[in-house]
Amino acid sequence: MSTGEDLNALDDATFRATVRDWIEKNYPPEIRNPTKRLHFAENKPWYLALSKKGWLAPGWPREHGGMGLSATKQLIMTEEFERHGCARLNDHGMTMLGPLLIRYGTEAQNARFLPKILSGEHIWCQGYSEPGAGSDLAGLSTEAVLDGEHWVVNGQKTWTTMASDANWIFMLVRTDKTVKKQEGISFLLVPMDVPGVTVRPILNLERHDDFCEAFFDNVRVPRENLVGEVNQGWTMAKTLLGFERIFLGSPRQASYALSRLELLAEHMGLADDAVFRDRHAQFELDLADHNTLFASFVARLRRGETLGADVSLLKISQSELFRRITDYMLEIAGENAALIEPIEGNRDLNPAGLFLQARPSTIYGGSSEIQRNIIAKNVLDLPG
Amino acid sequence: MDIESDQTATDEERMETIRMLRDSAAGFLGSDLGRVRRLRFQDPGFDRSTWREMCGFGWLSVRIPEAQGGLGFGMQEYVALAAELGAALVPEPLILVGLSARCLPQEYLPAVLSGDRIILPAWQEEAGTLADAPRQTTFDGRKLIGEKRFVMHARGADAFLVTTMSGLALVEAMASGVSLTAEQTQDGGHYGTLRFDGAVANAIPDAPFDAAVADATLASAAYLLGLSERAFRMTIDYLKIRRQFGKPVGAFQALQHRAVDLYLELALTRASVENAATTIDSNVSGSQQRAAVSRAKARASRCASLVCREAIQLHGAIGYTDEADIGLFLRKAMTLINHLGSERAHRARYVALMKVA
Repeated sequence: MSTGEDLNALDDATFRATVRDWIEKNYPPEIRNPTKRLHFAENKPWYLALSKKGWLAPGWPREHGGMGLSATKQLIMTEEFERHGCARLNDHGMTMLGPLLIRYGTEAQNARFLPKILSGEHIWCQGYSEPGAGSDLAGLSTEAVLDGEHWVVNGQKTWTTMASDANWIFMLVRTDKTVKKQEGISFLLVPMDVPGVTVRPILNLERHDDFCEAFFDNVRVPRENLVGEVNQGWTMAKTLLGFERIFLGSPRQASYALSRLELLAEHMGLADDAVFRDRHAQFELDLADHNTLFASFVARLRRGETLGADVSLLKISQSELFRRITDYMLEIAGENAALIEPIEGNRDLNPAGLFLQARPSTIYGGSSEIQRNIIAKNVLDLPG
Repeated sequence: MDIESDQTATDEERMETIRMLRDSAAGFLGSDLGRVRRLRFQDPGFDRSTWREMCGFGWLSVRIPEAQGGLGFGMQEYVALAAELGAALVPEPLILVGLSARCLPQEYLPAVLSGDRIILPAWQEEAGTLADAPRQTTFDGRKLIGEKRFVMHARGADAFLVTTMSGLALVEAMASGVSLTAEQTQDGGHYGTLRFDGAVANAIPDAPFDAAVADATLASAAYLLGLSERAFRMTIDYLKIRRQFGKPVGAFQALQHRAVDLYLELALTRASVENAATTIDSNVSGSQQRAAVSRAKARASRCASLVCREAIQLHGAIGYTDEADIGLFLRKAMTLINHLGSERAHRARYVALMKVA
C-alpha cells in the first residue's frame, strides 16, 4: 500500500536533513506554532500533506501503509516536527487505534479502517473516561447490549478529546455486569454521525474546546464492529494505554517547551544569567536522558517485544518535565505570566499558554498518581 | 482547618478590630463566585457600584491616617482584610488605589476615598522589575513623556499616578497626550500600556511612595495567602467527596501526604505575612521592614503557585475545565504571583537588604 521509499536506509543525519527540508517546504506557514490544539478543519492541509507523502504513520509497518521506521528515526522525526512548530493532528487513529487493529483486528477490519485513517476520511476519538470512571477506568458503566445483529449502546463518555471533529469513536463498553469489573468490558468501534449520538464541547482552562462529553442513546452498531473477543476489551485497552503511554512519553512536549524557554529567557534579558543557565542545563540534561530512555522503549517495541508496565515511567518522566519547564517559564516571565495572548504577538513567546497546556498532561492518559500505582504494584511488586 | 493566627499584638481591642474587619468583609463578600465569574473578560473587569460599597465600608481607607479622613489602622488590620479579599477573588482594585491614596495630598482624598475617582499607580516600564527600578519617563513640572506598562485595571481608571525621573505626577486618563492599549490577563482582567506624549500633569511632591509600595506589596501577599487558603479548603473538600475505586480519593495516603505538604506551605506563608505586618507596625528600620515584605511576597507567590497547581492536579480532569471554580484561583494566582514583584525579584531584594542590615 505504501509507495514511499524506505527511509531506514538513510543514515540518521541525512534522514534528519531530509525530514527538515521537506517540512520546511510543505508545512503550511499560517498554522506554525499554534497557541491552541487545532481542529481538523484547521490542520487538514498538514494532515493531507503527510498522507500524500506517506508520512502519517511513522511507526506502522510498511505493509499497512506506515513508514516502518526505526525507533531512532521516529524520534528524529518527532524532534523535527517540534522544532518547526508543527501542529498536533487529530492523531487518535494513527497513534492508538491503528496499532491496536494491526495487533488484534481481523483482516476485514484492517482493510476497512486502516486506509481511511491514512486518507483522513475517518477521524477518530477515544471513548474511555466517564464521569464516574476516571482513574478507576474499569468502573465504567456505558453499556452495549446485543440485539440481533446489532449492539445497542447507552451511556456517557467524557474528556473525549476532539470528539467534535471525529466521525468515529473507539470505546470501552460494558457487555457483562455479572463478572469482575475488568472481565465484562468490550472494545467497540462506533460511528458518530448516527442517530442517538450527541456531543457537547467543554471549555478548558485555556477556554478552548479541545474536549467534549459524548452521550449515547440507543445507538445501534453492527455486530462486526467489535474488536477482538467479547469481554476481552480491558486486556486490549491496556495494550492501547501502553501505546498511548509510549506516545505521551515521547519527548515532543518537553522538547518544544525547552526550546521556547530559551527564547523567553532571551526576551527577558536572562539568557546569560547564571541562575537561569543552571536551571536550563538541568532541564537540558533531564530531556537528553529522557530521550535515551524513550528510545530504548521504542527499540524494544520495534523488536516485537511486548512492553511491560514500566512504560508508565515514560509518561511520568515526560509530562512532569514538561510541567516543570513551564512552571519555570512563569517564574521568569514577570508580568507576562499573566497574559492570555503570546508576548507581543510572538507565538514562540507564550509562557501562560504553555503553562496551562502542561497542566492536564499529568492528568490525562492515566494521571501521574495512577502511573505510580501501576509501577508500584506491577513492576516493584509492592503489597496492597 | 484554618491555621491559627499567632498574633503578636496583645492589645485585646486590636484583636477585636481585626476580627470584626475580617467577619464583616467575609459576610459582605460571601462564598458565591458567580459575580467574579461574570465580571471576567468584561471591561473594566470590576463593578463600580460594588466598588463604592467597598469604599463605604472604609476598605480603601484602612491605611490612611484618621486626620486625613481614613481609618488609621495598622498593617496587621490591612493584611487581615486583604486575605479576605483574596479568598473571595475580589476583582476591585482596592490594593492599587490604596497605594495611590497613600501618596496623594489631602485635597485629592475625599473623592478617592468615597469611590468617586479611581486613581491607579503607573510605575512599571519593563516586565519583571520592582517599583524602585530606574525609570525613563520624564516630567518637567507640566508635561509627561514616556511609557508605562502592566497597569492593572487601567481601563477603569479616572487618573493615573505616574512615577517619573523627577517625582510623581498625576495625569487624567482622558487628558490629551495619553493613550491606552490593553491586553487581557488570565483572571479576566487586563494590563494596560500607557503612552504619554506631552500630556499635562500635576506634580505630587513629598509622597511616601516607597512606604505605600511596601504596604501594597504586603497586602498583595496577604491576598495571595487568602486565595491559597481557600483553594486548599476547596481541594480538601473535593478529596472527601470524589470517589474512585470504591472510596473517597482522600483516603489514599499518597494524596493525604500531598495535602499536608500544602498545609505546611500555607502555615509558613501565614507566619511570614503576619511577621511582615508586625514589622511594619513596629519601629524597626526601613530596610528591615522592606526585607520582611520581600520575604513575605516571595513566600506568598511561591505558595499560591504551588497550592493552585496542586489543587488542579488533585481535582483531576474536572480541575482543567473553565466551569470548575478551582480554575478561577489558578488564573488569579497566575496574574498576581509576579505582580508587584515576582518571587525571584523579592528573593534577590531580600538578600541584598539583609547584607546591608
